Amino acid sequence: MRIITLCYRKVIDVNSTKPWDKLVFESSYLEFKMQAQNFSQHTRLTSYAQLVNNIPGAHQLSARVLPAINGYIHQLNNVVPDILNNVGIRSLRFDNYQLEIINSDINDKIRHQIAINFYTPPLVWHDSVGEYLLLSPYQPDATADNEAITNLIQVQPYLNICSLKTI
Amino acid sequence: MERKNFLKSLIIGAASTSVLAAACKKDDTASTTSTGSSSASTPPSSSNGCAVAPTETEGPFPTHTPASYVRSDITDGRTGYKLTVKIIILSNSNSCNPLANALVDIWHCDKDGNYSEYGGSGMQATDYTSVHFLRGRQTTDTSGLVTYTSIFPGWYSGRSTHIHVHVYNSSGTSLKVTQIAFPEGSGTALAQVNGYSKGLTGYTYNASDNVFSDSYATEIAAVTGNTTDGFVLTMSISV
Repeated sequence: MRIITLCYRKVIDVNSTKPWDKLVFESSYLEFKMQAQNFSQHTRLTSYAQLVNNIPGAHQLSARVLPAINGYIHQLNNVVPDILNNVGIRSLRFDNYQLEIINSDINDKIRHQIAINFYTPPLVWHDSVGEYLLLSPYQPDATADNEAITNLIQVQPYLNICSLKTI
Repeated sequence: MERKNFLKSLIIGAASTSVLAAACKKDDTASTTSTGSSSASTPPSSSNGCAVAPTETEGPFPTHTPASYVRSDITDGRTGYKLTVKIIILSNSNSCNPLANALVDIWHCDKDGNYSEYGGSGMQATDYTSVHFLRGRQTTDTSGLVTYTSIFPGWYSGRSTHIHVHVYNSSGTSLKVTQIAFPEGSGTALAQVNGYSKGLTGYTYNASDNVFSDSYATEIAAVTGNTTDGFVLTMSISV
């Protein structure tokens, strides 16, 4: 049996149009701008890349910005956004997430780009049907002849199989 | 059909707003993995050109949520003598009148001298990198006032007792980064707290503190109270 976790890397930037994405964009940018100014004092550095490359401790910025979006993550009710199963329902759940600042700038909101990485709980990868993965939640105490509730999830950009265990 | 799909596009996490009911007649191509592209919200097409459309009951709709830092009580489970912190922000460019709608972040160490968001290194052994205690943000009212409920800070080697303050305008642009010093001497709050269980042996007083030594007269707060009823700190900061 192959047990996997899927991860969806959701990129949010100035081009995002959906209401939730835009709220996260605005809140994370304001927080980045405020937190980054703790590191940029007495320098002329304004971009995230410059800070991370030059100021010790600036790598903490992603962790410092996370409290600004926790409330929005909570509103998802543990359902991975965007990824549909083959009947048009967001059927993947996440039990872990991580914020990644990709780029940003204290003076230029247009440069702000983040990713939220959503990690599913362990899933059984039963089979592949064309481009689709046939998956069900991994239940360690289920016996082999129990019927599994499955979903077909298409392999698609920004969706990764990020761990694999064969048991 | 158009309106129904427009409504569906408002769902949290629903896929691409450009997906139409007649999706099977469109050839939706999946977004490529170039850097800088936005989320993969366009459903990829299958080999015959049909794409699955998001079809779920609408709602709940996303609502603006403040950052977790926005709180008046910043104690967050840390034990210590109660300290009410009142800071008034005044505007230098406006005859020292109160500055309303400024964002004020404060943070300080716990009774043992440890900060949240730090640790596991030479500067602070205890790893508190994923917690946020004793940090908070408030917005000044028309009197320029922000108030926090906290605990009296502890101290750590090399520094006198202090509270960090960062004042921003309402757009998040930094106006001032500063620190608040505490009065010293017999009968003061500092003396009453006596460094909690650490005591004050090896303590660095304001005159020797590398941040305060040249100007602490302007950076010292007024602190009243006692260990039974708690303490109140009042400070004006000009930006």
